Amino acid sequence: MSTVRSAETATPPDVLARPAEPHAEQAAGPGVAVAVPPRRGPARAALRLLRSELTLTFRRPRNIAMLIVLAIVPVLIGIVLRVVGGDGEAPSLITQVAGNGLMLTFVALSLLVQLLLPLAVAVVAGDAIAGEASGGTLRYLLTAPAGRTRLLAVKFVNVAIFGLVACMVVALAALVTGFVLFPVGPVTLLSGTTIPLADGLLRVLIVTGYSAAGMAALGAFGLAVSTLTEVPIGAVAATVVAVVFSQVLGVIPQLAPVQPYLLTSWWASFDGALRDPVATDVMTQGLLVFAAYTVVCGSIAWGRFSGRDITS
Amino acid sequence: MPSQWSRARAVRWGVPVAAIAVVGAAVGAGPVVAAVQGDPSLPDRTAEQLVADVLKAGHEKAPPAMSGTVVETASFGLPALPVPGGSSSSPMSLLSGSHTLKVWYGGDGRVRLALPGPMSETDVISTGKGEAWLWQSDTNTATRFKPAQGAAKADGAEPAQSALPTAKTPDQVAAEILKVAGTNTAITVENGQHIAGRAAYQLVLTPKDTSSLVKEVKLALDGQNHIPLRVQVFAKGTAEPAFEVGFTQVTFSTPAPENFAFTPPAGAKIQEKTIGSPAGEKKPGAAGAGQEALGKDTKKPRTFGSGWATVAEVPFSLADLSKAPTSEQGKHGGDPARVLDTLLKSAKQVSGPWGSGKVLQSKLVSALLTDDGRLFVGAVTPEALTAAAGQK
Repeated sequence: MSTVRSAETATPPDVLARPAEPHAEQAAGPGVAVAVPPRRGPARAALRLLRSELTLTFRRPRNIAMLIVLAIVPVLIGIVLRVVGGDGEAPSLITQVAGNGLMLTFVALSLLVQLLLPLAVAVVAGDAIAGEASGGTLRYLLTAPAGRTRLLAVKFVNVAIFGLVACMVVALAALVTGFVLFPVGPVTLLSGTTIPLADGLLRVLIVTGYSAAGMAALGAFGLAVSTLTEVPIGAVAATVVAVVFSQVLGVIPQLAPVQPYLLTSWWASFDGALRDPVATDVMTQGLLVFAAYTVVCGSIAWGRFSGRDITS
Repeated sequence: MPSQWSRARAVRWGVPVAAIAVVGAAVGAGPVVAAVQGDPSLPDRTAEQLVADVLKAGHEKAPPAMSGTVVETASFGLPALPVPGGSSSSPMSLLSGSHTLKVWYGGDGRVRLALPGPMSETDVISTGKGEAWLWQSDTNTATRFKPAQGAAKADGAEPAQSALPTAKTPDQVAAEILKVAGTNTAITVENGQHIAGRAAYQLVLTPKDTSSLVKEVKLALDGQNHIPLRVQVFAKGTAEPAFEVGFTQVTFSTPAPENFAFTPPAGAKIQEKTIGSPAGEKKPGAAGAGQEALGKDTKKPRTFGSGWATVAEVPFSLADLSKAPTSEQGKHGGDPARVLDTLLKSAKQVSGPWGSGKVLQSKLVSALLTDDGRLFVGAVTPEALTAAAGQK
């Protein structure tokens, strides 16, 4: 991994060559940034860093493998439904897929948003800081001026984009499968209303965006965990365990009062977009919960990361 | 240096702490805002004036068009029921837990109720043109209800109107109602309630009968329109309501007409049902579901006692119920027979001079199922039930 990182050119060579002095930088704080004149605008530098992060993320074989798995699941669901056919006993959402390929998107997302998508996001988020620390590349990343906050922000945006891409991969794979295997036409919503196909596609967009926002909130959580450790697998495992634990809490009826505060309870609320009128109240509340998790976890990550001793 | 360093670290950790505080404050802001707003300033009303206002409002004009979100919370103290928990859209699930209903009312008998569940929805739509639809997305079924010819529309305000006795003015009727109710109920009015952002009066009905399990019933009425906004039923010895249904959000404006139209989607199963009597047009409301399930095979019900302490006797046998068709709904949870089975397992065996049977007690309702096939139900203590069972 360190070889991969060294190929990256986010930090100018002359800065890279400077010896890493984490303590000096922390004690002096942002003053150092003033001392070294920035070569370009900080925004452009951040964008450059983000681009290199994205390249790394989407070239990493395990991330590609996860995206492929995510793309295969909707295809499999589609093929199974096509072969078996929706008999009268199946839940109607499944039988509706047989009648309209567009519904496959919603079925696939509702299944994957519970575990497989969070797993993929947790792997990337948990690895974000801890992976660099364990690979010994974190200190080089931090030698650039205006370092830690920007690095953390870029890491978060990177995770959020990965979550969005993962959701889009699922939606696109499901759309293509649905269009190929099933008839496509006007969409029946959960409320029994039928809307034209174009509106249906718009709702696919809403659902995908909402799911991506939920994944970004999980990404912030994973990032916070990732700053606490130098063992990436530990951060990934802790994030996944938190998701599973929270889902277990979500199904215990006696804990109903706690459930609105759990991140996982809101992921499936994208079904509000499939109602008529759209349940904007529920979805807005979900987005607020996502934002709250992002702010709290992000600030914890910042509090930990900006004051941490970087020893590797 | 170390002390400076640790101070810097403390400052840094102050940021997440502040973030948590901000989020916590945002979560807790609702009650605080309500408290800061202070008591709404509604003119004081006695119980008599308030009931007269309600009658006047119901008499002079139809209820205003409105839409809103209703939350129903039931904690009857029943054992965990085999009904889908959480936010399932099966009507049987209303028996326990908390549920959200969306309501649209457009006047002229146009009503839509939506019970959202995870990736499912149950809708009841009354189009106002003499037909009603029940749409269940999880079974992909649309059921059309048509009243038998000549059956009158039964709607919100009408029972109140038809119940009007011979008295002339709402004030007189109010006085009469309160006189009748006053024999077994203490009625007071609470002013200054905020419900769903509306200033509201609250009628508090307190049973005088000691054997009643009901401590009080609180009925909140909108200060302007006198529409009921919330009903809470408190059981004896509990601070939280055992049953509560009320608006959490309400808008008094005409909802979009699309809400009251329904065309069954292509591919849906369509069923036709005719409703014999106006009473059958009752919506599958919160309280109705349970009572209908229990009283389905009613043949000759008898009652004992009066008012709050009324005990109903219903001929009842378990064999009947297990034979009863349980429809396809059973597969998705909420099978009445299974619910009853669970209830009976938690029942207590009792016996007395009247025979023996099983007593089931919840916070609000007790039921006694005797071994000779009689069912006594009432919002009373089990002792009152066994006393009723002793009466021949």
